[in-house]
Amino acid sequence: MELGRLEYLQALVTEFQVTDSTGNKRRCSLALSVSSVSSHTRRFSFAEAKEQVLANLANFAYDPSNYEYLRQLQVLDLFLDMLTEDSETLVEFAIGGLCNLCLDKINKEYILEANGVEPIINCLSSSNEETVVSAVTTLMFLTTPQSRAQTTALPVVECMLRFSLSANTRLSNLASIFLQDYCSPPQVEEARNLSKHTAVGIPLPKD
Amino acid sequence: KMAAGSSGGPGAPCRHHAQLGACESRAKYREGWRPRAVKVYTINLESRYLLIQGVPALGVMKELVEQFALYGAIEEYHALDEYPAEQFTEVYLIKFKKLQCARVAKKKMDERSFFGSLLHVCYAPEFETVQETREKLQDRRKYIAKATNQRDCFVLKKVEGPKKTASKNSQHDCPWSTSGSHVASDSDPACFTSSHGVSHNTVYPSGNANQSLLTSQHYDNSCAEISGYFGQNTSLTPSVHPGGHLPPAPLMQHRTVPAYNGIDRFMPRTTHLQERKRKREEGNKFSFIGTSEDNTEVVIGPQLPEIPKVDMDDESLNTSATLIRNKLKEVADSVSTTSVEKPESSSAKPLVKQRRRI
Repeated sequence: MELGRLEYLQALVTEFQVTDSTGNKRRCSLALSVSSVSSHTRRFSFAEAKEQVLANLANFAYDPSNYEYLRQLQVLDLFLDMLTEDSETLVEFAIGGLCNLCLDKINKEYILEANGVEPIINCLSSSNEETVVSAVTTLMFLTTPQSRAQTTALPVVECMLRFSLSANTRLSNLASIFLQDYCSPPQVEEARNLSKHTAVGIPLPKD
Repeated sequence: KMAAGSSGGPGAPCRHHAQLGACESRAKYREGWRPRAVKVYTINLESRYLLIQGVPALGVMKELVEQFALYGAIEEYHALDEYPAEQFTEVYLIKFKKLQCARVAKKKMDERSFFGSLLHVCYAPEFETVQETREKLQDRRKYIAKATNQRDCFVLKKVEGPKKTASKNSQHDCPWSTSGSHVASDSDPACFTSSHGVSHNTVYPSGNANQSLLTSQHYDNSCAEISGYFGQNTSLTPSVHPGGHLPPAPLMQHRTVPAYNGIDRFMPRTTHLQERKRKREEGNKFSFIGTSEDNTEVVIGPQLPEIPKVDMDDESLNTSATLIRNKLKEVADSVSTTSVEKPESSSAKPLVKQRRRI
């Protein structure tokens, strides 16, 4: 990776502190140097700028040659943080970024260590199709012998069962793969029985 | 065989087919040379299937397919009559043999003018079968494992169907911004690494690499990354290819990923061009021969004759140049007896200009 790329990445990501809802100071590393966005023909919103930067980072996350840098810049944390944002777009991009980079062993361990599975599972109930699809794939990729108890927990399997019946081919394909390759038959059976009786653990996406 | 459309399934307009409005607010230093929408590409969005909208209804399917075939072998194609199309345009589906070819084709052909109409090209993953999606994900796994030198045995209960190419991303044409500039501002910011996943150091494998792969016979354990190289039925026996064998294709050994030294990775533009050219030639070579298998399988056995390579040392290449040179010499020497026809080089060998393949 050329020097230019590192600088570019660094220009995207600067650190600042935010206070989250529980009053704790948290490191949130998404900001832009003001000068870089000021020279523009049309007025933009900071929200839009954030989206663009996040999208760029998520796309960078597709290429393994960037992983070391992304880790240094703590972009993994950033992605995880963005999962709980209100903006549907930010969530979509963040989970996309995670999906892109979570196959790498180090990234995978990092995400698991950081309790990333839970917010990713929550993405399954998003009304945004890309978010859901990315979340399904990310859960697959994050499944290890150690993590599978979490990634294939009953509510998840039950959710996948419903997804596998979806008219959305992408979603149903992924869900089918999840059930066939990552869950045991007893797990699937248990989930099937569950859905016959009680209310679901994870709501269906609205679309 | 294509995925059967479920109700509202493939063929129905999907959100991810919609062309997003171009992003106008991008900061200068991130501006590509073309306006681009904000979009994140994941493996779920990408596909061997491409949807092409805006094809003028002039009966140009053949030309369209030929144009796309420049980027790689095409497995299937047909018009999508039910897909909503603007007046006087048609919609086509083209299925590439390899994802990376689809990727390049999309990048090159999207927003291109075709018979006076602007094409819109996007991925169409909804046409995939479950197995195709599964293989796509597995290929991605293998690619990452290889790119990061990680032998990560993932949790899969059973061996899937024929394991396809190990390195679906390996044979990347490097679709860098055509401006070739390495400065961020000139390239597509969303695809800085040349639309994801491209190693700039594409290296032909050393013999060692092949050796280590050959000795691994664990293709039925869960280390899919290794098994992927062999498919399900090869160890040291040649796999049967209806179309004959290819020489072991450049196993685009993704370079080892050490601690980064930015300077090491800098490749001058001309090298990129040459790399692209060479890869294109390699790619074309395979599509001529019509390989139907992934060409990263290590194959042993009699090889089909390759496309004859031009022997750069062959004097016949320089026939015209030599003739002219000799004529000049003749004229210069007039009655001299030293103007001798010497096709082979004399001691003062004239600079033989190598013919470039066009």
